[in-house]
Amino acid sequence: MSLDTAAPTAGLPDGTPERKPSPSAVTKALIAKAGATRRRNSAKWKMRIGALCTLLVIIPILLAQVLPLPDANHQDLSARRLPPLMDGHLFGTDQLGRDLLSRVLHGGQVSLTIGVLAVVVSGAIGIILGAAAGYFGGWVDTVVSRVLEAQMSLPLLMMLLLVVALFGPSIPVITGVIAIAQWPEVARLTRSMVLVEREKPYVSAARILGLHRIQILIQHIIPNVIKQATLVVLLLLAQAVLLESALSFLGAGPQRPFATWGRIISDGQDYITTSWWMVTLPGLVIVLMVVGVNLLGDGLRDRPRRKKKGA
Amino acid sequence: MTNYILKRLGQGLLTVFLTVSTVFILIRLAPGDPAVSYAGPLATTEQLAKVREQFGLDRPVLEQYWIFLQQLFTGNLGTSYSFQAPALQVVAERMPYTLTLATASILLTAVVAIPLGVWMSRRPDTKSEFGVNVLTIAGQSMPDFWTGIMLLTGFAVLIPIFPASGFATWGGLVLPTVTIAILQIALISRMVRREMTTNFAAPYLTVARSRGIRNSILTWRYAMGNSAIPVFTALGTRFAAMLNGVVVVEVVFAWPGVGSLIVRALETRDYPLIQATVLLTALLAVGVQLVIDLAYPLLDPRVRLGKAAAA
Repeated sequence: MSLDTAAPTAGLPDGTPERKPSPSAVTKALIAKAGATRRRNSAKWKMRIGALCTLLVIIPILLAQVLPLPDANHQDLSARRLPPLMDGHLFGTDQLGRDLLSRVLHGGQVSLTIGVLAVVVSGAIGIILGAAAGYFGGWVDTVVSRVLEAQMSLPLLMMLLLVVALFGPSIPVITGVIAIAQWPEVARLTRSMVLVEREKPYVSAARILGLHRIQILIQHIIPNVIKQATLVVLLLLAQAVLLESALSFLGAGPQRPFATWGRIISDGQDYITTSWWMVTLPGLVIVLMVVGVNLLGDGLRDRPRRKKKGA
Repeated sequence: MTNYILKRLGQGLLTVFLTVSTVFILIRLAPGDPAVSYAGPLATTEQLAKVREQFGLDRPVLEQYWIFLQQLFTGNLGTSYSFQAPALQVVAERMPYTLTLATASILLTAVVAIPLGVWMSRRPDTKSEFGVNVLTIAGQSMPDFWTGIMLLTGFAVLIPIFPASGFATWGGLVLPTVTIAILQIALISRMVRREMTTNFAAPYLTVARSRGIRNSILTWRYAMGNSAIPVFTALGTRFAAMLNGVVVVEVVFAWPGVGSLIVRALETRDYPLIQATVLLTALLAVGVQLVIDLAYPLLDPRVRLGKAAAA
């Protein structure tokens, strides 16, 4: 902004003291264009779009039993491979005459259950081990960090496939496998945050007051890092859903009670040239949901943190 | 320097050894009998016993492990049950295909993702950047098998530009490469953006800018120079992960690489083949990781190997 445009604005010809803001003033228009505002806005929009996409998929999935849909495993060979919107089949039917929408929603319940459970388990393992490694240091840290490194250099999907192929594609096995695949991320994050946190004065204060180390860790340090650690969880949920669908695409997914998304897509693969909807629509459902969760997680992370009131 | 390399080499070999041993134990723990899948469902008990004896599966697990260790150090991992050829040789024949695919994908990723990330970091939170940002989130949210099938249908079936599967001509490389690169571009470009944004906000850049250094030099020499290590590491880690077989994409495009091999080996419980695949891919992954670490001083003269580099 150059200085010579900063003319006084009080003396206008008609005498009315109309106040124009001086060029150096912070106007509303400028605030709206400022980097901080734009950042806040894009975080806000990400959260809105993300929530919309997620809910668009999750609500029908949760209501799958209530909605007036044909049974997901009900075969009707006279109504094979109907295109979408035919005979009341919104997503069409598959090669055995099963209602595709119903299959997608019921399979989605299984996928989502596995995803949520896996994230809860991996979150718990990750936070506990990461916090222990960061706080105690020494051999605990060495062991945890080594395992983390070793696991990162492992062929992940190959190992998951191996375990599932060997132990059978039941829901607990798949959940456990995904949880084990995901805990390193949480552990690494928690460890680095605890490393910072443990040097803070309140920890020394608690130690001087005679609290046990484990008590300090659980009562004072973990509550201070858990909020940030849980933010990662949303992003992990998206990954878990993708991993599960990849596993079930390769035939290592749960079969009962309902086939999950990856399996539905691999079933439809053989009919892709004649019946596009059998692959395209379930895939779009996955994309919509995962995009939603990712956007939501991203927006929550970018969101400027509000200061606690009165704290 | 030599000490450092030796130390890293030792660690790497230990990781490989632990990985291979874990797989050995996992395979033996799991239910399922390779003799059954080899001899077929109609085999008599005597035939099964004969097959077990032939493969050495009738011996105690510890003895099998001892034999396996001996084989490991003589470089002979036994004969693949289904290929009737030395297991390592079967895997080694497949390796060039996976290597080609991984190299092509990582090159495409680097060429697109780095400029894209820089572009995003130079106009943060504008409308166009927001659009691209959401696109990258979509890119990392698409299940790769689905993207693969969609591309296959679009560009091999509906508009037959590229061959649908296998690797007969170089055209066959295009679709699998693009499928893999979509996800990688999304991940890497977001990372480049993050690194560059951090560097753009750093004081040294403000100083450089105030001295009137051109924007292009600020971006590419200063900020990019300092973002190079994390970006290079990420690219290298991704590349190492791809060497383990881009399982899903290889299956979709019937690519004759290691990934589709392991799926088949798991289905037939071909123990020697599984072990050979894991051994070879783990060795390669560890090797690539070591090369990346050794390349650090070239990218950043401040790095001294053997000192705590990750400060």
